[in-house]
Amino acid sequence: MAELSCQQITASYGSGPILSGVDLAVPDGTLTAILGSSGSGKTTLLRVIMGFLAQDQGTVTVGGVVVSDGARIHLPPEKRSVGYVAQEGALYPHLTVEQNIAFGLPRHERRLGARAREVLELVGLSCAYAARRPGQLSGGEQRRVALARALAPRPPLVLLDEPFSGLDASLRTETREAVLHALAAQGTTAVLVTHDQAEALSTGREVAVLRSGCLVQAAPPSTLYRTPADLDVARFVGEAVVLSGEARAGVAATALGALELIDPRLEGPVEVMIRPEQIELHLPAAGSAARATPARLTRSTFYGPDTLVELELSGVSEPATARVLRGHEVPPPGSRVELTVAGAVMAYPAGEVSDPETVDAQRVGRSA
Amino acid sequence: MISVARPTRIPRSLLLTCLAVAVIVALPVIITVVQALQGGVTAAGHALGASSIPKLLKNTLLLTVLVTPACGVLGVASAWVVERTRLPGRRFWTLLLVAPLAVPLFVTSYAWATLSLSFIGYWGAAAIVTFSYYPIVFLLVAASLRVMDPDLEETARSLGLGAWRTFWRVVMPQVRPALLGGMLLVALDTLVEFDAFVALKFQTLSVSIYAQYQLSFSASGAAALALLSVVACLIVLCGESWLRGGANYTRISHGARRGIVRYRLGRWMPVVLIGLTLLVAASLGVPLVRLADWFAQGTRTAGAAAPVSGVWSATLTTVLLGISSALVAILLALPIAILAVRRSGRVVTAIERSVYLSFALPDLVGAIALAYGASHVAHFLYGTVVLLVLAEAMLFVPFAVVALRSTIGLIEPALEDSARSLGLGPLRTLWRVTVPLARPGLAAAGVLVFAFVLGDLSTPQVLAPPGLTTLGTQFNADSATVAFAAAAPYAGALVVLAFLATFLLMGRFGRIHALAEG
Repeated sequence: MAELSCQQITASYGSGPILSGVDLAVPDGTLTAILGSSGSGKTTLLRVIMGFLAQDQGTVTVGGVVVSDGARIHLPPEKRSVGYVAQEGALYPHLTVEQNIAFGLPRHERRLGARAREVLELVGLSCAYAARRPGQLSGGEQRRVALARALAPRPPLVLLDEPFSGLDASLRTETREAVLHALAAQGTTAVLVTHDQAEALSTGREVAVLRSGCLVQAAPPSTLYRTPADLDVARFVGEAVVLSGEARAGVAATALGALELIDPRLEGPVEVMIRPEQIELHLPAAGSAARATPARLTRSTFYGPDTLVELELSGVSEPATARVLRGHEVPPPGSRVELTVAGAVMAYPAGEVSDPETVDAQRVGRSA
Repeated sequence: MISVARPTRIPRSLLLTCLAVAVIVALPVIITVVQALQGGVTAAGHALGASSIPKLLKNTLLLTVLVTPACGVLGVASAWVVERTRLPGRRFWTLLLVAPLAVPLFVTSYAWATLSLSFIGYWGAAAIVTFSYYPIVFLLVAASLRVMDPDLEETARSLGLGAWRTFWRVVMPQVRPALLGGMLLVALDTLVEFDAFVALKFQTLSVSIYAQYQLSFSASGAAALALLSVVACLIVLCGESWLRGGANYTRISHGARRGIVRYRLGRWMPVVLIGLTLLVAASLGVPLVRLADWFAQGTRTAGAAAPVSGVWSATLTTVLLGISSALVAILLALPIAILAVRRSGRVVTAIERSVYLSFALPDLVGAIALAYGASHVAHFLYGTVVLLVLAEAMLFVPFAVVALRSTIGLIEPALEDSARSLGLGPLRTLWRVTVPLARPGLAAAGVLVFAFVLGDLSTPQVLAPPGLTTLGTQFNADSATVAFAAAAPYAGALVVLAFLATFLLMGRFGRIHALAEG
């Protein structure tokens, strides 16, 4: 059963609409990441679910109960049993860590202190933290305490607003692991809002992409990455090499040769989307691969586990990028190389506008 | 508030400047102590041993004990309603709730005393002082509610707390410094209040000190009595810092940049509207209606009204006095505010607190002390406008410090640090970075001091050079002879000026809010 379900949520803030017809269903005990750039309406969606903002239309259901329907029903935030972790934690500076965590518990449980310590441990912090003040914690610790505070009253659903923003890379990973572990241990359903695609892909059972107030695609991370709904989503969730080509019988003819299409039904002019790691580099040798395409390597950037190389293809103005895994030889810039593409690729009918505003206009036109 | 106290040593120049300011502000107290001692122990003992003293002291303390919490309750309740609910006409209510600050207490007290004799005495005095001073608490608490991180309250609601419990468990601890600061100002002001009680014939320490001067011309006896109020002031100061405790109130995250979700008042709406209307009617309505009444009397009886030219020249004098005093007060307050925000430690706290000593003496005693000091040590200052301006500035420095602190506290220290790294010295950094960024606070401080100078009566009465009349002294001269019709235009001009200042202040209040958000 879906713990949280949003149906046709439309919301506005003064001037224009911020959300238009958003549908979202989060199954019990899973985490859905809402991915969107700033201004896409992701925080607004969160505030509608929390009850801090009343939607114009649409229904929010939590645990099978309609908490707001945009008309008569609007349960106040404190009656929804939805946990909330604010962007920077929002810990109470006048309380200790333990008092912060116990904040939402009934009085007798607050006195006992057992639950607070239990949740503190759950988020991977030792009891030594209990007596500290929020000001004495690092950014990552603050986020963990904020989650512990939200989890302490055992809400069935928790919403997290950019929970890892502003943390540096290693702390981010560590904090993310702690948060995911705690959520899983409690079996809590969670919605996480982020603008970081790597974060969304690595945390969510499902990732919902929000663009200009519309939900563009909601899918498991691998599906989203492999088969994005359009080129914009493709570019948003990862790097993409886009080439124009001609599709016929499940194969597209492009500057990188004939490529197998994931969707064989497409015919005619298409735009082909290739992920950089699909492009393989070969040194020109006597026995070069039959379907290899010649190219010139213009630049390479070393990242440790892999190296990103920029390639110039004949007849293509924009450079293509490829990802070369560690252990493979990367020739110096200026070298001649040969390329092949591994696996099937996504393609989109050419000429389809991908400017988000125009897409919206089309959508509105269609629904009207 | 983001206040970062850095462990580095305090620059000597800043420390010396602040110490100098602290000494200047404490001068009246020092001079008063000297005066009291000069009269000899017997004179002081005689004054202190008078049979009326315990009663006066009791009156003063009882008044303070009632007025301070009453102002706290009214100030916090009205600030919460305006800042956290969907009350209709919130901007309008904010102006009306602050406006009583603009009506000088001596005007209010005459208004009430001539309204009904039943206001004469303890309860009348308590009510009048409460209605005049609660705006101090309102202003500080409302400002603190505005800059509070909305996530703190929203998280509480997500944890199942309703409006009432969120208020007690989250809002109150957060506004506590502002509330205590406001109540401190109210308590200190009440302890030494004098103007309000003359018309009400309520005997407090300040009133009897005044009597000592007027009746027995005993400067040392009066000084000895004034020392009692210094002691009371020190006790209040210690009490406040004890209540404030060592808790950390600094904001730990920048929080979200959006407004708070306001509560619907629902069935409480009529209660809240009636309550606010009564409050405004009592604090603002009564003095204004009385004033209009006096005006009407003046126009009815020909010859009773004041000459227009007299009102004009008194207005001009008052405005010039107010502006110059405000500028001097800002100059004195700026180093103290910077020190208090940027450094911490016992010395810093002691220096910051020392400016509150300007509240330790009744205005009149402070003014007389300065006149005494000038006549003995700096005769060239005696009887000049410079001394008057300096006295007014010293008197209201604490308000300027409070206003400046709040905005300077919002300035990221990194902005000043990067100016230093770009080769600017401390003074040029102050001038080119801190001062422009703290402009809303500077304006607020200036307007606040200006408004208080308008309402101050005792200082110009003692220190004004011969022939210099302000709106306040003229009103007082006329109302003392019960010529209210003649006094009304002066009080009217005073109230108009003070309202202008309040409107300006409220405009700046909005900007401070914007700065805190951005």
